[in-house]
Amino acid sequence: MKLQFKVSPTMKTRQSTQQIMMLLTLGLMSVVLFSSAFYFVEYGMNYVVHLWSLLAVAVSVAVASEAVWAYFLKKDIVKYLKTSFPWVTAIILVLMVPISTPLYPIAIGTFFAIVVAKLMFGGFGHNVFNLAGVGRAVMLFSFGAAIMPDLVTSATPISSIANLGWVVKDAVQLETFLAQFGGISGLLFGWYPGAIGETSALLIMVIGIFLAVKNVLDWRIPVFYMGTIFVLSALVAAIQGLGIWFPLYNIFAGGAMFGAVFMLTDPVTNPTSASGRILFAIGAGIITMLIRLQGNYPEGVVFSILIMNMLSPMIDRFTDGWQLELSKKYVTSIATLSVVGALLMGVVGFNLQAVAIEEPEPEVPDITLSSPIALDQSASATQGVILSSSVDGDATVVLVEINGYKVLSGEYDDALPNKVEVRINTSTLKVVSVTVVEVKDTNNIGTKVDNPIFLDQFKDLDQTGSVDAVSGATVTSLSVVRAVYAALEHVKGGE
Amino acid sequence: MSVWIGSMQKHIEGFKELTTYNDIVNIAAPKEIYIPLINGVSTAFEVLVKEGDRVFVNTKVAVRNDRFEVPLFSPVSGVVKGIKKIMHASLKPVDHIVIENDELYESTISIPHLDLEKATKDEVIEFAKVAGIVGMGGAGFPTYFKYLTPATLKVVLINGVECEPYITSDYRMMENYTQDLITGFIAMMKMANAQEVHIAIKKSKKKLIKYIQEAIKPYPFASIKEVDDVYPMGWERTLVYAIYKKRYVKIPCEVNVIVNNATTAIALGQAITKQMGPTMKMVTVSGNGIKNPANVFVPVGTPASHIIAQLGGYTDENITLVAGGPMMGKTMTTDAWVITPYTNAITITKTEQVDSMTCLRCGTCNDHCPAGLLPVRINNAEQAKNVDLIAQLNADLCIECGLCTYVCPSKLEVTEGVRRAKRVLALKKGA
Ligand code: SF4
Ligand code: SF4
Repeated sequence: MKLQFKVSPTMKTRQSTQQIMMLLTLGLMSVVLFSSAFYFVEYGMNYVVHLWSLLAVAVSVAVASEAVWAYFLKKDIVKYLKTSFPWVTAIILVLMVPISTPLYPIAIGTFFAIVVAKLMFGGFGHNVFNLAGVGRAVMLFSFGAAIMPDLVTSATPISSIANLGWVVKDAVQLETFLAQFGGISGLLFGWYPGAIGETSALLIMVIGIFLAVKNVLDWRIPVFYMGTIFVLSALVAAIQGLGIWFPLYNIFAGGAMFGAVFMLTDPVTNPTSASGRILFAIGAGIITMLIRLQGNYPEGVVFSILIMNMLSPMIDRFTDGWQLELSKKYVTSIATLSVVGALLMGVVGFNLQAVAIEEPEPEVPDITLSSPIALDQSASATQGVILSSSVDGDATVVLVEINGYKVLSGEYDDALPNKVEVRINTSTLKVVSVTVVEVKDTNNIGTKVDNPIFLDQFKDLDQTGSVDAVSGATVTSLSVVRAVYAALEHVKGGE
Repeated sequence: MSVWIGSMQKHIEGFKELTTYNDIVNIAAPKEIYIPLINGVSTAFEVLVKEGDRVFVNTKVAVRNDRFEVPLFSPVSGVVKGIKKIMHASLKPVDHIVIENDELYESTISIPHLDLEKATKDEVIEFAKVAGIVGMGGAGFPTYFKYLTPATLKVVLINGVECEPYITSDYRMMENYTQDLITGFIAMMKMANAQEVHIAIKKSKKKLIKYIQEAIKPYPFASIKEVDDVYPMGWERTLVYAIYKKRYVKIPCEVNVIVNNATTAIALGQAITKQMGPTMKMVTVSGNGIKNPANVFVPVGTPASHIIAQLGGYTDENITLVAGGPMMGKTMTTDAWVITPYTNAITITKTEQVDSMTCLRCGTCNDHCPAGLLPVRINNAEQAKNVDLIAQLNADLCIECGLCTYVCPSKLEVTEGVRRAKRVLALKKGA
């Protein structure tokens, strides 16, 4: 009979760190499977093969590095790996990169994350920075936009909106913009390309809830982080007069949800007290939004996590003490931090400027004008055909079909007529504006006439005026002149 | 509160079904009884008998004689064989009065009669003192002393929560001695000058709640407060906060509440009606390490080994034996220690080997500490030998509830680290 001595308590919960890590792995693999399905359906099998190659490379590099490390430390390799969980970092890192990433940057990123950020800091439980975050940062700095030549990725939602300066006010523009990703609901379901794992916010949210219920992660971190992003972007939306889409976009697009569930919650790099974790999450939310809006840098999530990791020990020191006594201080500091964040975001929000790229001003190609053409010289030539004519206030709008090249030479049998719309002041019988609706003449030559430099000359002319032809496109210029003449004739005659 | 601090409590598996419904086993006193001369941490006792004296059931054999007065009574009749130092359930060697049991059970009366109807507050308090009533929930603190407070008390809170896993002795006492419970709490109301009695029972104990509800119907001032099945709900602070949403600095009297264990109330009730001190004890013997888990009714001073033998012995070669529940009890390396008036359980489990690993800084221990401490921070400070930080972290407020070790997924002995920190702090204060 042996009565075992053991310090009390002798009873322990069944949950172990190993189980926590297995559940986390399971959660990550669900995202991998979702992404595989997405790339298979939308892009084909070779994308899926590449995804799994990335995964295989990253996991092998991570496991091999730790195995070698354990060997040199003369530790039982299998036991060491079982309590060190290198694969978790590898999977997260793969999920953070775009599908077009070649294999060697992911190998180097993983190696750096595992060896430098983890093992050199003392192994599992001792690293200061989120490991995958470090790996991603290394890859961003050293390889930038290294991409696989035969794989394409479109712009991620966050970089696209960054290109627009974040403030999209025009309703039509907004709609076209959001439509790229299937609207807000499209972002939620995640059927669009981005970084491999940053797609379906809904899936990640569901996994996050599952992991929180299973005590794998602290619900406070994703809730306060996403809450901060939502509130701050809602504030910016209010200042800029943007709709509810803006905060939703900030939450559902890009890596915020992924970072919130899988990276920010990494307990090793978190403060250990509940209130500390709340401060940590709010801080990360503020920094993410600042980097996104002020820095106009799409990778706000990764860097906000790394910055907050650095502050973790300080937050821990700040919350040290008797929780019951300090709870007032916690509430005040959390409130203060929120207010500071809101103020910062307010300033940033006021200064945001829309960058109009979506519908660029049609570029005005340089044209030169040459010899003048008098309008009335058209009187003797071919007449334009009046397609339609309508009254719009003071003006009459006449659509004229006019032969271009076709009129001039038999060589151009298949030349089609051009269409010109002429707006004429009904009482003064002078031209208000001329719009070229369709030019069927040779592209890049005939089309030169569709240029304000040429067309603006018609303003205020009547049948006695003259305009200078576009050099190199005299025939088409002439056809426009004839159309205008015909329109003037039509309006005059109609009186 | 819980958003900023954490839940400060946790539901833990109770294994209470092992001993809630089966028969209570009456264990006859063995040939020799050992009355431990200890109360709480104090071993200052005046022994009132000497070797060769004949004693009866209820003979007062010793009395604590420092700040508190706590008499001890013999549970058997027989002859005093002397005093022997043996291991006590507090893991310390302590003097015990050895009485040879003559198995005649001749009894005497050492407690005065109390007419509860007519008695004054002071008379009841005095009675509780001479009857040797102490906190039966495991602490053994003299009950009379709590009522000497000058504070205004409105409510007597009877603690029938029994939050430690495995233990069902309070449950079985409340179920079997309901009338004594009622007499006990009426006496306590008198001692406190209170207007109300609240009986706290876990929501999950539906049957008991129904039963007690029926029994207290004639007493409109008494009511049941149902509380969640979480640990450590039985701790005064957690319990008072759960029911009244109030926190206090030192003792519950600050919020006009006085808390007593249900078995303590029953002991007081029995002292009044039967004029006997706490010489018999209901003890839960449970766990997968004992053949026949059961509640036993045993004389105080019976060695644990005697009880274990009567319940069929151990189930395994390698077992862990705890005096008390698995959370707050102490692991014993012998089964020769004896039952005190405030022993409520013996937990016996098969020894399980668990491998610990590095702290993953998950903060789970911090979230659950019922005292509002940060156990992992205290552990880190202790490892770094940073005494100032240990002090700032208020390690001395730890009640050693064990929850931090229980919840730790890395299987670290977090509570033990906090204990070490407490000792460091105590040393520093002493120096
Ligand atoms: S043992 Fe002490 S530190 Fe640990 S949870 Fe209980 S009160 Fe808190
Ligand atoms: S519960 Fe264990 S692993 Fe988690 S912080 Fe506390 S000591 Fe560390």
